[in-house]
Amino acid sequence: MRYRYFQICFFLLFFSSIVFAAPLTEEQVQSKVREISKTLRCAVCQSESVWESNAELASQMRAIVRERVIAGESGDEIRAYFISRYGDFIVLKPRVKGINQVIWFGPFLLLGVAGFLIYRKICVWVKQATPVTPSEIVPIDDAGQKRIAEALASYNTGEK
Amino acid sequence: MNRSSIKTWQVFLPLAILCLIVVFYHGLYGNPSYIPPVIVNTPAPDFIAPELYEEKGQRAPREMRLSDYKGKVVVLNFWASWCTECALEHPSLLEINQRYAQDPRFVMLGVNYQDKENPAKEYLAKHGNNFKHVRDFSGKISIDYGIYGVPETFVIDKQGMIRHKSIGPIIGQNYTHVVEDIIEPLLKGEALKG
Repeated sequence: MRYRYFQICFFLLFFSSIVFAAPLTEEQVQSKVREISKTLRCAVCQSESVWESNAELASQMRAIVRERVIAGESGDEIRAYFISRYGDFIVLKPRVKGINQVIWFGPFLLLGVAGFLIYRKICVWVKQATPVTPSEIVPIDDAGQKRIAEALASYNTGEK
Repeated sequence: MNRSSIKTWQVFLPLAILCLIVVFYHGLYGNPSYIPPVIVNTPAPDFIAPELYEEKGQRAPREMRLSDYKGKVVVLNFWASWCTECALEHPSLLEINQRYAQDPRFVMLGVNYQDKENPAKEYLAKHGNNFKHVRDFSGKISIDYGIYGVPETFVIDKQGMIRHKSIGPIIGQNYTHVVEDIIEPLLKGEALKG
């Protein structure tokens, strides 16, 4: 029984490795090349991706991406190759690493610092303001009440 | 939070904002076409490529391998016949190669970038030639060296490490810098300044 179990496991592993090692179809290669090339910057046109650019260098870069996809390299491995040649500039989305972290986290940090300072300022204002207790509230006298009634009446009739 | 820590914040915040302004200013007003080279101080990628000219008695150009020149200081220049700045620096390259022609520790090689055979040969016939050139058909050599325009020149030390990358023509001050601060010390086996 145990031997049979190992046999099944062996066959499963063997066939799954065949499935994983199966060469990519042309459609899969194209799709991976497109996906990776869209994340790479054309080194000569700069504002376009390698996928969109018609420059000769971009076309040569696409050919290299294709060659490496067929060789079984992952998107990250291919991007790492281009970064090792051109630097972070070559990827359209900057990596969250080194000085690039300023771009990713700088605005949130500034927002946090600004929010903290505003909060502190508000706390100081609240502390400085003298609270009024109900006993300190002076009731409106007759003259005041009359003025309010007049104002309301003129408002209701639309007079000034 | 006590009063002294508030003062620390008051100093830290303007400093942080100033730093950010400097970073953004550098990013916005720097030269957008300048890309800091990351390939300097890394091993020079080896390549095998056909020479531009066939040698006498040969029917086809022979293939050249960069690693054949290990142990020498190699000046590797990427150029094209359609590149006006390449023509501008070409006399400097001829002069450098002439200067070290008798030195067995030195070699200059040209890599013809995104070009056709005949215009490349016509260019060399017009501007002169005293060093070997290879053709980069697929662009693989150029991409391996992180090229994004020509002319670009690399100086590789005797151990096969890239020690300098020059973007743009080697003329004027750049010529003096490349010869005196890069090639000379590398030939003598001295460390580069900076």
